Amino acid sequence: MLKINNLNAKIDKKSILQNFKLEINPGEVHAIMGPNGSGKSTLSNILSGKKGYDVTGEVLFENNDLFSLETEERAHKGIFLAFQYPLEIPGVNTNVFLKTSLNAIKKARGEKELDAIQFLKLVKEKAKELKFDEEKLGRQLNVGFSGGEKKKNEILQMSILKPKLSILDETDSGLDIDALKTVADGVNALRKNDNSFLIITHYQRLLEYIKPDFVHVLMNGKIIKSGGPELALELEKKGYENIN
Amino acid sequence: MEDQLKTDFEKNLRDFSYSDQEKKFKKNNFNVFLEQGFPNRKLENWKFSDLNQIIKNNIGELTFYNDYSKENQIDKIELINELEHNKLIIVDGKIEKIDFKFEDKDKIEVLAEQGEEIIKKNINSLINLNNAFSNKFCKIIIKKNYSLKKPLVVYHSTNKDTKFKNTNSRIDFKLEENACLKLIDIFKDNSEKNFINIYYNFELDKSSILKNYKIDRSINNNIKYSYNNIKQEANSVSETFILSSGSKFFKNEINCDLIGQHSSAFVNGIFDLDDENHHEIKSNINHLIENTKSYQLIKSVLEKKSKAVYQGKIFVSSEAQKTDGYQLSNAILLSENSEFNAKPELEIYADDVKCSHGSSSGSLDENSIFYLMSRGLNYKEAKKLLINGFLLDVIEKITDEEIKNLIKNLLGVKE
Amino acid sequence: MRDKQIEDLKDYKYGFSTDIESIKAPKGLNEDVIKFISNIKKEPKWLLDWRLKAFERLKVLKEPDWQKPKYPKIDYQDLYYYSAPKSFKDKPKSLDELDPKLIETYQKLGIPLNEQKRLNGIAVDAVFDSVSVATTFKESLTKQGIIFCSISEAVQKHPELVKKYLGTVIPLTDHFFATLNSAVFTDGSFVYIPPGVRCPMELSTYFRINASDTGQFERTLIIADKGSYVSYLEGCTAPMRDENQLHAANVELIALDDAEIKYSTVQNWYPGDKDGKGGIYNFVTKRGLCKGKNSKISWTQVETGSAITWKYPSCILKGDNSIGEFYSIAITNNHQKADTGTKMIHLGKNTKSKIISKGISAGFSDMTYRGLVDISPNATNSNNFTQCDSLLMGNKCGAHTVPYIKNKNSDSNIAHEATTSKISEEQLHYCQQRGLNPEEAVGLIVNGFCKEVLQQLPMEFAVEAQKLVGISLEGSVG
Repeated sequence: MLKINNLNAKIDKKSILQNFKLEINPGEVHAIMGPNGSGKSTLSNILSGKKGYDVTGEVLFENNDLFSLETEERAHKGIFLAFQYPLEIPGVNTNVFLKTSLNAIKKARGEKELDAIQFLKLVKEKAKELKFDEEKLGRQLNVGFSGGEKKKNEILQMSILKPKLSILDETDSGLDIDALKTVADGVNALRKNDNSFLIITHYQRLLEYIKPDFVHVLMNGKIIKSGGPELALELEKKGYENIN
Repeated sequence: MEDQLKTDFEKNLRDFSYSDQEKKFKKNNFNVFLEQGFPNRKLENWKFSDLNQIIKNNIGELTFYNDYSKENQIDKIELINELEHNKLIIVDGKIEKIDFKFEDKDKIEVLAEQGEEIIKKNINSLINLNNAFSNKFCKIIIKKNYSLKKPLVVYHSTNKDTKFKNTNSRIDFKLEENACLKLIDIFKDNSEKNFINIYYNFELDKSSILKNYKIDRSINNNIKYSYNNIKQEANSVSETFILSSGSKFFKNEINCDLIGQHSSAFVNGIFDLDDENHHEIKSNINHLIENTKSYQLIKSVLEKKSKAVYQGKIFVSSEAQKTDGYQLSNAILLSENSEFNAKPELEIYADDVKCSHGSSSGSLDENSIFYLMSRGLNYKEAKKLLINGFLLDVIEKITDEEIKNLIKNLLGVKE
Repeated sequence: MRDKQIEDLKDYKYGFSTDIESIKAPKGLNEDVIKFISNIKKEPKWLLDWRLKAFERLKVLKEPDWQKPKYPKIDYQDLYYYSAPKSFKDKPKSLDELDPKLIETYQKLGIPLNEQKRLNGIAVDAVFDSVSVATTFKESLTKQGIIFCSISEAVQKHPELVKKYLGTVIPLTDHFFATLNSAVFTDGSFVYIPPGVRCPMELSTYFRINASDTGQFERTLIIADKGSYVSYLEGCTAPMRDENQLHAANVELIALDDAEIKYSTVQNWYPGDKDGKGGIYNFVTKRGLCKGKNSKISWTQVETGSAITWKYPSCILKGDNSIGEFYSIAITNNHQKADTGTKMIHLGKNTKSKIISKGISAGFSDMTYRGLVDISPNATNSNNFTQCDSLLMGNKCGAHTVPYIKNKNSDSNIAHEATTSKISEEQLHYCQQRGLNPEEAVGLIVNGFCKEVLQQLPMEFAVEAQKLVGISLEGSVG
């Protein structure tokens, strides 16, 4: 599904990712763990198409060259990024935003767009599953939301847009244990044979609830070690400095 | 220009049968204008918009005499159909028709007789120009406790062959105690390259409510100036909304004196500008007594070489304790040649007040665009959604639902 | 005890005058007086010509009248334009030769000039009326190639530098008071920091107006060459006199590539008495040019003195990536008037500016923040943030905010915020409940209000400024 070959990324001439390699197959859950400044967020930004990086190398998503696609085209193809810091957009109603987004993706895929009633039914259902306060859907996007609510809103969007590859960028940070469980439940509910997850995190905590198939350790822009779920536990015990 | 002015002024005096008092009033005003001429950038108020220069560059030499001997064809003016309304039609500065067909006739009085009036020398010379040339005096009085059933729409129109002309119109309004008026100004320009000068005087008695919506949407090459002078007694409310968009140049000036306790003034507006349009809103909100409130919100979306100016002033006298004054302006510059200038000014002499202002200008937020695009919207859609959201909160300030929807439709803004 | 202290504080403690014989130029403003000044300072011909050119220009310029504080007309022919202690006719070679009365004066002001009592880590240039009387720590600075001396001395010893930079930021033709200064400036400080040098100590000038009927027209020129850094402090006091005295200084700063200049002022000129009699007219032109790329100029001012203050320390951000900052506290009490603020002119790409202004008015005073932020079409990706807050104490005073904001570049952002408020009863009550008297409570709250700016000052100055903030507002509560 996703193939990253020799990816190098620089920002303002500062090298962040070096010869980065990763392959994710349908149905797999990969976790990338690393300390602050190791390049985790850069990876999610590049995959979703944020500008401002100098990149070389190759990233294929279902055999499409990712770098030739605009941000929204990547979204149309099924890449979803749950932002580490979801943006507040004053004046834009959350429901309006979600509907516009969903229909833009459906349209690009040649699917039938949802009308207001169908959409509201869907969104209410999903909000209930995620214990997301329905009243917030009528408010401006993320404005006045708590940190946890913003993260839940990301997962809500994910469950509505049904992406093929979901990238969760430090979705666990700032969440209390109940919110963490809700988020994990949301992710687990979406796990299927044909869709995949890339979970970017600093701590092992989230991985207790979302069992990864593979764990990779990212240090200084490179994956220095890969393994199964047990690697996360090892990391937790030894710390990043003592992994090799 | 001086000779032209003098000849045109004489012609105007000759055409109308003014009373001696009116003649004197007009002459005095005329002399003040002769002395001062069109405002230019040397005046603090006109620093960002040099009207003298703007007229020279866009029109050239103006003439000031309008021949009203021919009947103007008002039935050709395109009216708005979206809502039922009373009409007041102005063609080339002359009031051609007043029709309060939805209202109780004895609740509205229209005066043609001007009372004694002191000549104001220091506001700006355009008021003097207006007083010198505007023809028939007109004062509309809304009687005590009467709320108009339908809004009054004032159509500002020009004849097709009116060109290089200055037209002047003035209307006075008095809202008696507890009266309510919704007033919509619509611009229907049928010709180009004129300087249109409008002057409104409002007296708001106790507990009366004025809602004035100025909609400048049709694209044209006219230069416009509008001055609203509002005096507010206790518990009265004025709401002014300006959609500044179509004209080549438009300066809307609002002067509001809050002289009664618990009176409040709201000035909200949108600059939606394109091409080389240059628009300005200038407000003076004068808090002159305790417990008054004002709120101003101005949003700008600027394309191409357009330029928007917002000069908002809050004045608080030393008697005006417990004043609550707020103003905010936000601008989005969509083109590298667009320009936003602001002068948010506070002049405060009382200590127990809450006053603040804010102003921001810049490009569309790239991170928000990215966020929306990562959810599948293309750049154009993302931009539109953001601008939509940006404008929505000022449109939401409009308290009249019908007019709110009208403006939403005009701007293509959705909820 | 406490009352006694407050009583003491209420008086302007720098209000004494020094009884010292002085040499003055004849009263009045004319070519002869300018020649007199130039001659007594043994200036080269180019400088005299430059002064005369300014004087020619002055004849056609009008005194500005747009500013808010109005003042009675100044009779420029009734002023002395040059005054120097008599013992200065032949300049003393060392501090030992300095008139003991001068040393005593500065001692009283808290500025010890003699060797053993010098302030740690601060080099001082003391200006008395029209001339610089002493510069401390000269030798240790010279070792690093730093030039710190009076501008008169710089004209003699480093004419090439003075000629190259004088008037490049504030041109001869600028405006009335700046041009007046160019014609008759007497002394001031000169600083040059060579490439790559980080000036090891704070440089400081202490201005003192002593003589009566005398205008002070000093001129300061600071050049930070490539990659250098300097922090400069300025302090001012004057004796209590019934008449108004004019102070029209020019300060020019030039920062070349990667250089940084930090300029701090604590202005405490005599503000006049409670009824508004006397006091200094402080009409100062201060302007910095960020000439080189990555350069930075930062102004910090605490303005508590003067009858009328009228100044706008500005930054011209010409070099790409250059930064301008303005931090200001202005306090007016009694009948003082202040019209102050800044101009940030963005010309280069990626230029940034920040304005933090705190105005406090009490008594019958009047305070205006006036500022300009101008982002030119070429200043791509630039930004400004402005915050101006006003605090009013009583309803006989005024606070005004007049910002001019011009954005001509769509890739640049300007954000401006302003508030006006008063000290809330709740805050006062809370402090008093914890045992503070009302004056102390106000001092505490006002200092909190000003904190962002006070933090910008070098340590020694910050303490002084904090006290000054308290003192300036004495008697304004109740």
